[in-house]
Amino acid sequence: MLIVLMIEGILEDHGCRSVTSVATVNKAVSLVESQSFDAAILDMNLDGEDSSRVAVALSDRGVPFVYSTGNDRRNMAESARDHAVLHKPYQEADLIAALTQLFS
Amino acid sequence: MTQIVSKSGDQKAAEAEVDSFQNDLGPFVVAAETTRMAMVFADACETDNPIIFANDAFLELTGYTREEVLGQSFNFFMAHVADEEALALIRGQFEGHSETDAEILYRRKDGTEFWAGLFVSPVRDDDGDIIQNFASFVDLTAYKNEQAQSRLLIGELNHRVKNTLATVQSIISQATRTNADPQAIKQAVDSRLFALSRSHDLLSRENWRSAGLLEVIHDALDPFGGLDERSGRIQITGENIRFAPKAALALGIAFNELATNALKYGAFSNEYGSIRIEWTVEPSPTGRRLVLIWTEKDGPVVAPPSRKGFGSHVIERGLAHELDGSVQLDYLPEGVVCTMNIPAPVPDHE
Repeated sequence: MLIVLMIEGILEDHGCRSVTSVATVNKAVSLVESQSFDAAILDMNLDGEDSSRVAVALSDRGVPFVYSTGNDRRNMAESARDHAVLHKPYQEADLIAALTQLFS
Repeated sequence: MTQIVSKSGDQKAAEAEVDSFQNDLGPFVVAAETTRMAMVFADACETDNPIIFANDAFLELTGYTREEVLGQSFNFFMAHVADEEALALIRGQFEGHSETDAEILYRRKDGTEFWAGLFVSPVRDDDGDIIQNFASFVDLTAYKNEQAQSRLLIGELNHRVKNTLATVQSIISQATRTNADPQAIKQAVDSRLFALSRSHDLLSRENWRSAGLLEVIHDALDPFGGLDERSGRIQITGENIRFAPKAALALGIAFNELATNALKYGAFSNEYGSIRIEWTVEPSPTGRRLVLIWTEKDGPVVAPPSRKGFGSHVIERGLAHELDGSVQLDYLPEGVVCTMNIPAPVPDHE
């Protein structure tokens, strides 16, 4: 949970006006469907569940996103190949660079 | 599909040889027949190396009867008969140049598959020509399962370590944002690292299945030495509700923050202050809710902070996010009150 707080802090430092975090697939999907977002950081695994449903919801609504994971760089699922992946723990510079890429 | 093949003359001669040394070398053959190691003899003079002897252990391993096996080609029970890699490994064993063990996937009569380690030794006649091959099979099923388990556990371990490192990174990041003095930074980092470490110890004691709320609270208050329930300064009331590891870690961090603040500014900062921690589980329209209240009293008079520190941020936002509920910190003049209202965790199926 501290990780989420740190990320929120970094994003606010870089001018992000609003950051919303949720910890389960169901909540993420309903959040994506009910509010509009400029970008997302998506953990590959949320509370024990694979997050592909969230990825689909984000893509359907045209919200660009990057993946986040603690897994080995080499064990990436096929589906992840089209999106940038941040490996925990991540450097602040990498996080900002990845998100900036999404907006370009 | 198995067929009882009709035997060639050579085949019968080969079997007769086995029979005859069965009579000549009694104890050896008894050993081969009764050992729990699956073994066969194959005729090296025929193409496809037909099986001319199979011991009971082999029949048990593969599920075939002796009639179904004798005369069959040596590779008949491979799971994938056209697998080039496997075939090459088997040839290597037969030709005697293999330095490494051959692990081959085989299929039993009932269709189930198993991995076996294959060891082949040639049997030569007096002229030194190979007339038969003696093969033993080691069932690797248990070993393969353990390997798979290990890979899973190592993956899990890696995941946890990465999360822990990221959490440490957050602790350091926060400590440096709110402190400029190196000593203060070190102090802030140290106390949170120790809290994290204690939470890990608690979870390890429980094999990372779950942790009880009473243990989480006791652990978090432990470093604030001497302030246990015997001193009368802490009162804890509630059932030992069990939480999943992630939630237990978050609670551990939050209680550590509450206790740290109590020590610095609140009920633990003087000699008289005390803390009451109590919780109940109540039904509600949204399901069962756990309501926990931390109440401080008799500490110095409380004034709301001009700027909320990391601790309150962690408690009100972080914990609420992690536990999927609401957490509120009220700075009442008589003492800080923290109220948590979260969905009650579903009990473990032990």
